[in-house]
Amino acid sequence: MKLTHLGLMAGIAFGAMGMAAPAFAQTVIKVWSIDGANAPGIADTLSKEFNEQNTDIQIDYRIVPFDDLVNEALRAFATGQAPDIISLDNPDFALFSSRGAFLDITERAAASDIIDTSVYYEGPLNSVSWDGKLFGLPKYTDTIALFYNKDLFAKAGIAEPPQTWSELVDTAAKLTDPSTNTYGITFSARAGEEGTFQYLPWIQMAGGNYDNVNVPGAVEAIEDWKAIIDAKSASQDVLSLGQWDSTGTFNSGNAAMAISGPWELNRMATDAKFDWGVALLPTQTEGGERSSALGGFNWGIFATTKHPDEAFKVLEFYISQDERMFPEFSSIPARNDIALPETGVPLKDAALKVFQEQLKYAQPRGPHPEWQKISKAIYDAMQQVLTGQVPAQQALDQAQATIKGITG
Amino acid sequence: MSRFLGSLRDGIGFDLILVGAAMLFLLALAGLPLVYNVLMSFQQVDMFTLGSLLRPFAGFANYVAVVAQPEFWLVTKNTLIFVFASMAGQFVIGFALAIFFAQNFPGASTIRGLFLVSWVMPGLVVGAIWSWILAGDFGVFNAILKSLGLIQATVFWKSDPNFALWSVVIANIWLGLAFNMLLLSVGLAAIPRDLYEAAELDGANAFQRFWTITLPMMRSTIGAVLSLGLIGTLQQFDLFPALTEGGPANTSTVAGYWAWQMSFQLYDFAKGATISVMMFVLVLFASVVYVRSTRHEVRG
Repeated sequence: MKLTHLGLMAGIAFGAMGMAAPAFAQTVIKVWSIDGANAPGIADTLSKEFNEQNTDIQIDYRIVPFDDLVNEALRAFATGQAPDIISLDNPDFALFSSRGAFLDITERAAASDIIDTSVYYEGPLNSVSWDGKLFGLPKYTDTIALFYNKDLFAKAGIAEPPQTWSELVDTAAKLTDPSTNTYGITFSARAGEEGTFQYLPWIQMAGGNYDNVNVPGAVEAIEDWKAIIDAKSASQDVLSLGQWDSTGTFNSGNAAMAISGPWELNRMATDAKFDWGVALLPTQTEGGERSSALGGFNWGIFATTKHPDEAFKVLEFYISQDERMFPEFSSIPARNDIALPETGVPLKDAALKVFQEQLKYAQPRGPHPEWQKISKAIYDAMQQVLTGQVPAQQALDQAQATIKGITG
Repeated sequence: MSRFLGSLRDGIGFDLILVGAAMLFLLALAGLPLVYNVLMSFQQVDMFTLGSLLRPFAGFANYVAVVAQPEFWLVTKNTLIFVFASMAGQFVIGFALAIFFAQNFPGASTIRGLFLVSWVMPGLVVGAIWSWILAGDFGVFNAILKSLGLIQATVFWKSDPNFALWSVVIANIWLGLAFNMLLLSVGLAAIPRDLYEAAELDGANAFQRFWTITLPMMRSTIGAVLSLGLIGTLQQFDLFPALTEGGPANTSTVAGYWAWQMSFQLYDFAKGATISVMMFVLVLFASVVYVRSTRHEVRG
């Protein structure tokens, strides 16, 4: 008897809760991003601020580690558990948008007061577009350029950073000094996306692209890289070092030049105890065509979302805060209508101007739904040449055949 | 009826229940994923059909595609080198250490206990530590070799195609050493002392005692250690992303890492499943050899 009584009470209690709930009804928008894993980032900070506004939308934010992001998203999407909004690395975006996994926001964006697609740089905008439709919005962008140690340049009597590929090889050789453990240059030729990220611009400068990798200039470029490693002007460990670790040797004064991106600026400003500057990537010939890699993340709304309107509102809120992107988070907005304020650190401000210039030449990787396989063909060929296992032409022909098989 | 119930309490029925529970458990936890994996290797899989069981049949297309990959034979060769070199290193050094610590000297068991540290540490941590040790320009290992005068120029353990695989082998031997030593120590301790005393009285030297007593008496232990070593080495994964990421140019990619790369970096889940089915066949073959080789063993 007592038990039934209790059960009845519990029933009433639950019923009351159920009835009370609609009064607090809020639409929960799930957002996934890598931000906030180490330090406060864009998505976690903005989501918190959005929730504090107490609208009828609440963001349920989750940090996903960079390496697991695409996997988790694929699995979640396959099992119908996808979040409403996700922020992805730009080459991974086409995998989802090309298959209709992301919501087509072309019309919503056109009708929006906050979003204006005409202000975005062409590359980032391409990476969120597929088949003429808009499947997301760029979050921020970055690219790579040449960092150089001005003190070491002055000591070696070199006035200017190298302008062409062959100058780069010569300059690196001149700056190499085994007695002080100094390499001429450091970069990342790792077996992974970073390797492709660093080598693809060279292919593009020579008139090639991701689906046309065996152009003569691409062969010349990789042979130049090999010459640098063979002459010990760069450590052979560039084959296994990521960009962050690779640039670490530049910061410690053990490399006179480094190829990396603006994400290095904060650390370099404190770590590097010498005068440094940033130059545009050297071109194949004097005044030749420029190119650079396009990095950065995008926002996308999953097509499976039950609250597309609310999710779009959240997206609009994120975009409306783009002006804070650089001052607060050291990320460069992917749009040309935001003037980046001075940071008060002269070296950083000077560097930022070069990166903004370099961004004009940045080209997205792909977009292609099977980008990861294309990328592997490129970095495999690059590594085969750099380790001297396969001649440059042959390796790139092989990569081209593999890529043709993927792109059809 | 009561006889049946009785047999459930203490009799053949009780045994059947225990065995049956274990079998059910195995089927659910090992069998189903295995079947799913084999099934996947014969299907066309993409991100939209990842969660479903019924997918277009692909026949042997995935197998043909995997073998046709330019790196297939390189990966096969690497896998064999990695497995046999790691197992040989772990076993020989582990056995030597087990015999060394079986001698009674002060502190023997304490120092042996310290060796277990490597076994307790996660593979990724071990990988990160060895990654620093084996670093080219500022690595400890190179510094030691240079100060000993063994090498003149810097050896790039992780980035030289001749050494990359071996740098993972070295780390893996260190990782698996303690486990081998522990199992072999137990086997050593189980050999009756009086056998050695008798042999010594008959004038057998240390090598003869090892060859005629230790090795035959430890036959089953050695078999178990080697087969566990094979399985452990084939499933070794953590060290690869931490040390070489399969590079340079796939020279340190082994089957297990390749399967992971296919599934979770290239999102080609069917090929990933296909590679793991191929590995499974290899392990199955090795276990059959192991079971057959210990079949005639004298028990007791």
